[in-house]
Amino acid sequence: MSRRTRMLSASLSTSLALALLGACTAQGGGDRDPDGRQPGVATGTVIGGTPKRGGTLTVLSNQDFAHLDPARNWVMPTMDFGTRLIYRTLTTFRAEPGKKGSEIVPDLATDLGRSSDGGRTWTFTLKPGLVYEDGTPIRARDIKYNVERSFAPDLAGGPDYAQRYLADTEGYAGPLDGKHLDSIRTPDDRTIVFSLRRPVAEFSYTVTLPTFSPVPASREKGVQYDLRPFSSGPYRVESYARGKKLVLVRNTHWDAATDPVRKAYPDRIVVIQGLKGGQIDDRIIESAGVDASAVEWSDLQPSSVAKVLPKPGIRQRLSAERTGCTDMLALNTSRAPFDDPKLRLAMQYAVDKEAQVTANGGPALNDVATAYLPPSLTGGRAAAPVHDGPATGDVKKAEKLLAEAGRAGGFDTTITVSTGDKTRAEALQQSLSRVGIRLRIETVDPSVYYDTIGDTAGAPDMAISGWCPDYPSAATFLPFVFDGRTIKPKGNQGNVSQFRDKAVERRMDEIAAMADATAANKAWTALDREIQRTSPAVPLLWERKPLLVGDNIAGAFGHPSWTGQFDFAAIGLKDPSRSRG
Amino acid sequence: MNTVTAPATGPGDAPAAGGPGSPAPPDAPWRTTWRRLWGDRGSRTALIAAVLLILVALTAPLLSRLGGWSPTAFDADAIDPYLGGLPHGPLGGISAEHWLGVEPVTGRDLFARVVHGAQVSLLIAFAATAIVVVTGTAAGIAAGYFGGRVDTVLSRLMDLTMSFPSLIFMIAMMSVAQDVNRVVLMTVVIGVFGWPGIARVVRAEALSLRHREFVEAARACGSGPWRILTRQVLPNISGPVIAYTTLLIPGMISTEAALSFLGVGVRPPTPSWGQMIAEAVAYYETDPLYFVVPSVFLFVAVLAFTVLGDALRDILDPQGGRP
Amino acid sequence: MIAYLVRRLLGVAGVLLAICAVTFVIFYLLPADPAAAACGKTCSPERLAEVRRFMGLDQPLWRQFGDYLTGIFAGRELGSGPHAIPCGFPCLGYSYENALPVWDLLMDRLPVSVSLAFGAACLWLVLGLGAGVTAALRKGGLLDRTLMVGAVATASLPVYFTAVMLLYGLVRLTGLLPYPAYVPLTDDPLAWAANLLLPWIALALLYAAMYARQSRSSMIETMAQPYIRTARAKGLPARTVVVKHGLRSAMMPVLTLFGMDLGALLAGAVITESIFGIPGVGRLFFDALQRSDQPVVLGVTLLAAFFIVAANVVIDLLYAVVDPRVRN
Repeated sequence: MSRRTRMLSASLSTSLALALLGACTAQGGGDRDPDGRQPGVATGTVIGGTPKRGGTLTVLSNQDFAHLDPARNWVMPTMDFGTRLIYRTLTTFRAEPGKKGSEIVPDLATDLGRSSDGGRTWTFTLKPGLVYEDGTPIRARDIKYNVERSFAPDLAGGPDYAQRYLADTEGYAGPLDGKHLDSIRTPDDRTIVFSLRRPVAEFSYTVTLPTFSPVPASREKGVQYDLRPFSSGPYRVESYARGKKLVLVRNTHWDAATDPVRKAYPDRIVVIQGLKGGQIDDRIIESAGVDASAVEWSDLQPSSVAKVLPKPGIRQRLSAERTGCTDMLALNTSRAPFDDPKLRLAMQYAVDKEAQVTANGGPALNDVATAYLPPSLTGGRAAAPVHDGPATGDVKKAEKLLAEAGRAGGFDTTITVSTGDKTRAEALQQSLSRVGIRLRIETVDPSVYYDTIGDTAGAPDMAISGWCPDYPSAATFLPFVFDGRTIKPKGNQGNVSQFRDKAVERRMDEIAAMADATAANKAWTALDREIQRTSPAVPLLWERKPLLVGDNIAGAFGHPSWTGQFDFAAIGLKDPSRSRG
Repeated sequence: MNTVTAPATGPGDAPAAGGPGSPAPPDAPWRTTWRRLWGDRGSRTALIAAVLLILVALTAPLLSRLGGWSPTAFDADAIDPYLGGLPHGPLGGISAEHWLGVEPVTGRDLFARVVHGAQVSLLIAFAATAIVVVTGTAAGIAAGYFGGRVDTVLSRLMDLTMSFPSLIFMIAMMSVAQDVNRVVLMTVVIGVFGWPGIARVVRAEALSLRHREFVEAARACGSGPWRILTRQVLPNISGPVIAYTTLLIPGMISTEAALSFLGVGVRPPTPSWGQMIAEAVAYYETDPLYFVVPSVFLFVAVLAFTVLGDALRDILDPQGGRP
Repeated sequence: MIAYLVRRLLGVAGVLLAICAVTFVIFYLLPADPAAAACGKTCSPERLAEVRRFMGLDQPLWRQFGDYLTGIFAGRELGSGPHAIPCGFPCLGYSYENALPVWDLLMDRLPVSVSLAFGAACLWLVLGLGAGVTAALRKGGLLDRTLMVGAVATASLPVYFTAVMLLYGLVRLTGLLPYPAYVPLTDDPLAWAANLLLPWIALALLYAAMYARQSRSSMIETMAQPYIRTARAKGLPARTVVVKHGLRSAMMPVLTLFGMDLGALLAGAVITESIFGIPGVGRLFFDALQRSDQPVVLGVTLLAAFFIVAANVVIDLLYAVVDPRVRN
């Protein structure tokens, strides 16, 4: 479990390409499977109608949050939780289901930011009258301070966009030593100006990340800030026993008039952590007592699917939104056997993607991926496959390609997966054996999975690796996954295939420099197809996030920008009086 | 009546009073043991069950070929992908094709997996027991027979080992050591923490044997310590050692299963009972048979060896050192 | 007696030090890199080096171990300069994943594990000793055979099987008990007990079965001793013989076992806690392993060793009080 979370974690999801916002038709790829059996409620449905104000919302979780400190919060659903409930950011996503959810609106800022200098300088103005949980004003320098914090080595793990985009950050190690960045200026308490090292057209999206929320320097507690982030949002931390329980209560100083997004329906939010996954499912299915007012934080277990799907009454309490991530089989292009493009191409046909779907929870919760970029980045439709053929693979074609590459009898190869993906690796082993490829599976603990595949010298021939765009732009996808210049000898992530291609890299730079987002998006989609022809990875799955709610929950929908997690800005209760156990 | 000659120093060491008074004559005791074992219905059943399980483990490849499925072969037709991969049909997909049903999601044959699981579970349990018995007996004899400084050092080592939080330590070692043969590592890790128990029993026995007439006599005749140990001491403690060994096995099977259950056991697709149960726990309601099948095998194995060990102890070491 | 006590305590300190050293060496030589885990995705090598320096992982092993030991007795500061984190006595290291000193984490989880262990221990002592002594006094009878068959069967069931069956029977099917969770005793004693009852039973059944077997054989052995025969011959009432003479000495080996078992459980019943989702020390340990949070793993190991050793000392002292020969 934790491996999946960690992987998906890493980033925000998305739903729609920036350039095509509002321009596209329905979500592609089919929310209904051929038998008409829907996984849960249809995309865009709000479960339980509009909530009433008040009551206690319970969140049942099998794990602790990775980090609630806004400088370190880069684990997917935790970003949703933090930015929707405890801290506000310069801009944020709309609290609406479906494609509207990937539109951004001003949050602390008065607008989406003004760029100058060809997109190299971005200026934001804060709304007047914004205050923290103690009533003191939120000032522009507090946002600057938190961005600086994200450079501190002891506050590691957060989004690194500030490091990537800001100008003149060489050797900067955070504000704790009293040093500050010149590339962020705060001429007055309500104005913040970012100077970037290159034009970034979608910087308005970048500032949805928790890095761009305010932390007053007077509240600095180093790593301990994690335990009690100072609230600028509708709730403040009342108590937090790590791994056990987090209680949020209303922040009475938060003013709804300044906040167009957060509805803040419940009076209290209680997160109970460390529970057992299957027992969470059972409790919410039963919806007895307080559990009726509970939602689940972690995915519905595959073993519970059979308790939910056949029962319409329970199924209508299941949200199964697309995560917006792509799950891939990365082929190590740096050495034999997969330095041979012919063999890599053969893999596109040898892999049984259907079996991957089954091993990962079935077609109700997964679609077969036909490209690297998820549908949300290619205009809402699944891209037409470059390598066509049945999803179960094309054994003949694979054998032919193998023969052409001089490996007619197959070959020996290895894969490393985390323990959570064991079944998937076994399914892969099984499908590759059809063309004589003998796969040896190494499983490693989730905690060391990325260390293992990120050690480029000792990396396995294959690895299952996923990527989620950080916001709806292919610029947060392809350059992270296929740019050869990002490869690091240790801790290599993203470009797990170790794919190096000068032409591709040149093209990426060209597209990144494009000012016209629509053109850029078209170019990214074309580049995706281009890369697929040399096949550094086999696209496998587009997953959904199955989450159940209790029957007293209202306003619940899987938000496209938070990998299908419920939008905590809009969730609440049907009948608040029922929530007090 | 014999009184306590050597005060028990370690907790749990029952005094080894009134043990066999003379060197055991060969052959005869074995026949008696066998007769008594076979004579009791409970221990006979346990013996049969244990032998059957060992046979199953030994012939696992053969048995699974008989069943028609390899333990790693997927059967997509046996499961319903829409219901989270639940097996088609009642009782976890039991059919003429899949004798004990199939694993959800993959459709792998449970019969094939459970018999191959027997192989892994019993192999590790037996190998770990062997390590424990050899080390424990050697250490126990050395400490008991030589006494003095050897005894002090070895006893301290036993105390130290017994103070280790063994399960926690085993989990930690299994989960951080990656690039090693899992079966070997697991055997060693389990074995490392088990030896002091048997060492204490043997030590107490050896201590009491040291000054027995026949040992003294052998010494007087000029036998070296090695000869005395192998010819006089070892045969006389073989009874308790055998009983204790049998009683160790169920614990080893359980430990292996527990580690596998916690996900730090053998590497897939190798099946092991603990690992199968761990995966099946979530399905106890939706596919109960998947959960029950490996649990029953594990239960029967532990039970059979426990009963067998109990019976052997009663026969071979009626008053003897209980760990 | 005092000399014995001093000798014993010195021994304990030695054992704990040895365990600490062994654990430390093993964990710090292993490949998982806590710095990489803390640094996260897209961590540059320079940044990784900084994190390592901050966490003290760039120091040689003996230095790290020395700092660790100093920390336990005197507290220490982690990192240096404005980033430094104070970690007061007894500093068992600092969990970067949880942003808390390991000691605080342990103390936060300990009440949960202690509740679990003591509750289960009460249950299993009553059940196990009751069954064991009853069986011993009716040795060979039907009741004896039934109890012992039951005990050997129950002891052969893995705890995770029993736990799941109990969960199904008592929670899912009948709704007699709530889903296990943890409510602090001080918040609501009734809810505390109700929520823990299920794990108590699951854990206690396994131990009760072992204790029934142990106490039965120990009791039978004792009752065959000459002094019992003497007591009987003196014409003492059967009840007095059993309780005063028999039970008292028969319980000694059981007591030893109990000390070890309770000691090991106090630092977390890893399997039970993980099955029921109870946030005790065992669960903390397992989560820490998944996240490469080595300071926590080390801390739990030490705590567990401490409890086992402490339980041993207590038991030994009890022995020494009862039996003067032990003191020499």
